Amino acid sequence: MGHKRLRFLGVVAAAMVFTLACGGTTGGGTPTKTYKIGLVTDIGGLNDKSFNHLADVGLEKAKTDFKIQADVKESKSGDDYVPNLTDFATKNYDLVIGVGFLMQEAVGTVSGQFPNIHFAIIDGAGTDSKGTDLKHSNVQSLFFKEQDAGAMVGVIAGWLEKNGKAKKNKHVVGAVGGISIPPVNHYIAGYKWAAKMEDPSIQVLVGYSNNFTDPAKCAGVATSQINQGADVLFQVAGGCGLGVLQSAGKAGVYSIGVDADQKDADPSVIASALKKVDVATYTAIKNVVNNQFQAGALTFEIKNGGAGYSVDNLDLPAELKAELDKIEGQIKSGALTPPADIPA
Amino acid sequence: MSGVGDIVHLLFTANLWQATLAAAVLLLLPALGGVISERSGVVNIAMEGMMLTGAFFAVVADLAWHNPWLATLVAIVAGGLMATIHAVVSIQFRADQIVSGIAINIFAAGLTVFLVNRIYGLQDVGHVGPNELLPYVDIPALDQIPFFGQVVFDQNIVVYIALILLVATHIVLFRTRLGLRIRAVGEHPQAADTAGLNVYVIRYSAVITSGLLSGLSGAFLAIGISNTFVPNMTDGRGYIALAAMIFGKWTPFGAFIACLIFGLGQAIYDNNSIIHVSPYLLSMLPYLLTLIVLAGLVGRATPPAADGLPYVPGSE
Repeated sequence: MGHKRLRFLGVVAAAMVFTLACGGTTGGGTPTKTYKIGLVTDIGGLNDKSFNHLADVGLEKAKTDFKIQADVKESKSGDDYVPNLTDFATKNYDLVIGVGFLMQEAVGTVSGQFPNIHFAIIDGAGTDSKGTDLKHSNVQSLFFKEQDAGAMVGVIAGWLEKNGKAKKNKHVVGAVGGISIPPVNHYIAGYKWAAKMEDPSIQVLVGYSNNFTDPAKCAGVATSQINQGADVLFQVAGGCGLGVLQSAGKAGVYSIGVDADQKDADPSVIASALKKVDVATYTAIKNVVNNQFQAGALTFEIKNGGAGYSVDNLDLPAELKAELDKIEGQIKSGALTPPADIPA
Repeated sequence: MSGVGDIVHLLFTANLWQATLAAAVLLLLPALGGVISERSGVVNIAMEGMMLTGAFFAVVADLAWHNPWLATLVAIVAGGLMATIHAVVSIQFRADQIVSGIAINIFAAGLTVFLVNRIYGLQDVGHVGPNELLPYVDIPALDQIPFFGQVVFDQNIVVYIALILLVATHIVLFRTRLGLRIRAVGEHPQAADTAGLNVYVIRYSAVITSGLLSGLSGAFLAIGISNTFVPNMTDGRGYIALAAMIFGKWTPFGAFIACLIFGLGQAIYDNNSIIHVSPYLLSMLPYLLTLIVLAGLVGRATPPAADGLPYVPGSE
């Protein structure tokens, strides 16, 4: 009897800590005439220094520019997506933003249940379990041409190899992806395509960590590529990819960051491929506040300032700068189109 | 199939086995903790949460004090504190030990994310400088041994510590009076109590020790292999360590062999950029290996008799 009651108490206690721990980031009252924006991160969390972080930057910027109440829910596992989205929807938020391709199905499900709530999803659409776009009239998809950004850093990697300005110059570079999903592969596609364009003799190693949160897993894949002679490593794995940057630093080779400017993550980071998730998040919120919400796809690319690159811990040679400007111009004008699929 | 050839080729490289040992040690520390805890009769599935807590506090402390040793100590203590919760709930209050373990894992995941946001706002946690990480140490002379030298003696300092702890745990458990007592308490607490042993003290110490070891593993993960904290960065290692413990029949060396198998699978997987096999297929390797070995070689695994049963003095 006593034992059973204690067991019950244990469950209640567990539920309580869980609720407390989860409730930490949501906040505040609900003043009238204020737009309520809810952001749900994927399992990378806000501190991935990349993707979810940038969504939050966009949200913060919108907060200063518009009269909005912004709340964030971090998902700790894939099972959190639907409850987190549903929670905002039941509270009648004006826009519920899901960050990331991994949330496609959850957004598809919840947007079907709440046809009067506006949803936006970064890097995906509202889909069914097979990944088919349900084309709900209350869902806006914010897509990126990651291949544009990947191509710019690919130019840097290829140019360094061709001109003997990398660390080992064996004409081998690498890319470490998280999971083999379209947004990751777009980056790698642009990277490989541009690196080969700059240095036709280059070998581009492509590996996956099967993970987005564990730096040790990405460090393992990176080390394997370094052992194969790679001396420029492009991470496309969110928080996991921080392990790539650090492994490159430890081995004395170059690395390239992703999504956000990752200059500070490690001294080895010479450049970052930028996917301006902040611009996209901000734009989506702006559209809702201005009553201009539109279902369907909105694409962010080099041409409209939604993708790009940053040069980090590297003294950029003038010739490389000229090459980068040339390629960027050609992508903008449409003379060059980086591929969306990884070239052979 | 060229993929198989690629793997066979890899098996002859020291790089692969070096990575195998490092990956195995991350699992070995919590697995040893599990062995000690369960040998004393307390089921412990909370290694994941203890490790995650250790990883988090290692980074916080290292960023604050710029000293990896102090940070590691903090991580060990943090893991121990989480274990103390498990001990109080399951030994003192005799709650269901599985439920308590699950609660701790969920609590740790929530607590770390919550604290990240409280301490660092919504910004980046920050990165520990290269000179403030747990160092990689080549053992002079020994690292010159062909092949074996690179595999064993060119590793992070935590790897050496873990190997010493492995031997120490084995000796303590099976060659000392203390070990006999721990095992007695795990097999038949009533008899042990009658013989004058303090069941509670022994169980408390064993559970807390498992937290200390898991905390150390968290520190190795966060400020040895990585240089920052990422929410949920332990990625289920505590659970795999649990599997390794069972696989190893609740013995330190058995668990170590299991960890090596998991580590080997991981290390092979890490080479997926040069192995011409689907990464999805490759990522199943550690689990496939386990199934094969478990079904073919290990046979029945029997836990300590009183494992998971709270001790009520005077009951029978």
